[in-house]
Amino acid sequence: MSLRIVPANAQKSASVQDTAGSFGLHDTLQYGPRSIAVEVKSQGTLKERLENWEETQDNLKLNLQRNAHGIHLPMRVLMERKLVTSHPNFMGTSNLHLDVLMGRDETIEPADVFLGMESSNPLDIRKEFEKRYKA
Amino acid sequence: MSKSSVYSSPGFDFSNIVRNNFLHEKGLPLPKATSTGTTIVGCLFKDGIVLGADTRATEGPIVADKNCEKIHYITESIRCCGAGTAADTEFTTALISSNMELHALQSGRKPRVVTAMTMLKQMLFRYQGHVGAALVLGGVDSTGPHLFTIHPHGSTDKLPYVTMGSGSLAAMAVFESGWQPNMEREQALNLVKAAIAAGIFNDLGSGSNVDACIITANSTEMLRNVEMPNVRVQKERDYKFRRGTTAWKKEEIRSLVVEETVTPIGRGDEMDTS
Repeated sequence: MSLRIVPANAQKSASVQDTAGSFGLHDTLQYGPRSIAVEVKSQGTLKERLENWEETQDNLKLNLQRNAHGIHLPMRVLMERKLVTSHPNFMGTSNLHLDVLMGRDETIEPADVFLGMESSNPLDIRKEFEKRYKA
Repeated sequence: MSKSSVYSSPGFDFSNIVRNNFLHEKGLPLPKATSTGTTIVGCLFKDGIVLGADTRATEGPIVADKNCEKIHYITESIRCCGAGTAADTEFTTALISSNMELHALQSGRKPRVVTAMTMLKQMLFRYQGHVGAALVLGGVDSTGPHLFTIHPHGSTDKLPYVTMGSGSLAAMAVFESGWQPNMEREQALNLVKAAIAAGIFNDLGSGSNVDACIITANSTEMLRNVEMPNVRVQKERDYKFRRGTTAWKKEEIRSLVVEETVTPIGRGDEMDTS
């Protein structure tokens, strides 16, 4: 059980998992041809730090909640989040209920300024449908 | 396998990292972000805070803006001076200003300086110093006047008088010899003007005019260009010719209309009421 505040600099080896399609292999249609340069991960860059930031802080809070109140509290929190993300909205991409649960409904982040609404590309909607009809 | 989608993305596009690292290894120099040499100061006096800044923005050896504004608005009684990369300071202060307004609306209370300081330091720490913003944050809230300095990596100090930027040493020298606790308003303003002037005249990265901002419990006064020690002299020679210097030599009028005939189409100008 880790109480990290800051994401660790994970030294990963080459991996295909990030670009894997539904077969588990590299998805050339979406991501282009395979190249070793892209797959070998370098150690701790700003990109990984930023991408894992919210997750690390969230893990810290959940761990502290577990220590203080028992396993039921983080379980309920995660259950509520799952409930809220289970119903995909086709018109908008911003999930207001999820924002309220994650505590970011009254803050503005650089992502809101720079990405806006175009963060959902058409391919993702197909992925959402895949997820729905798989399970 | 995509990451859990409950977390928001960092907002920046990192798809060129591999290419940039490759080019850097080949010897291509990475482009340097334009940074502003600056002198920014803040000082505590009897009734509140005085913030001061110079007004020069540089792009390498060139002056990009002779009269830029470095004292940014956070809330009604909190202001922030920014040194470092100009875009970073402007964007960071604008973002924190929006977040402070939202926070004040949500809590129903007047915003506090420590809130702004915490938001700024957490954001700057997250970016590991890549956001090059060195800030002097000052304001008066319900707990009194506060003055903070925030460095690009996220460390903060709470002090009665602070200077930041390339001209900070020159300005700090003036502060160290002139600052006293519980100064009057005029005395504090003169001290700040002298500190910025020291930065303007002794540092290449600072120049042009002096901006000041006096924040007290009841009011905030923004003194833009309170002192202009670098006014450009009037040019001695004039390059415009006085009207009537030369008389005309020749006048020729050529009509472009050679022949004009009007052919009415339909019933002419009458309205068609059929």
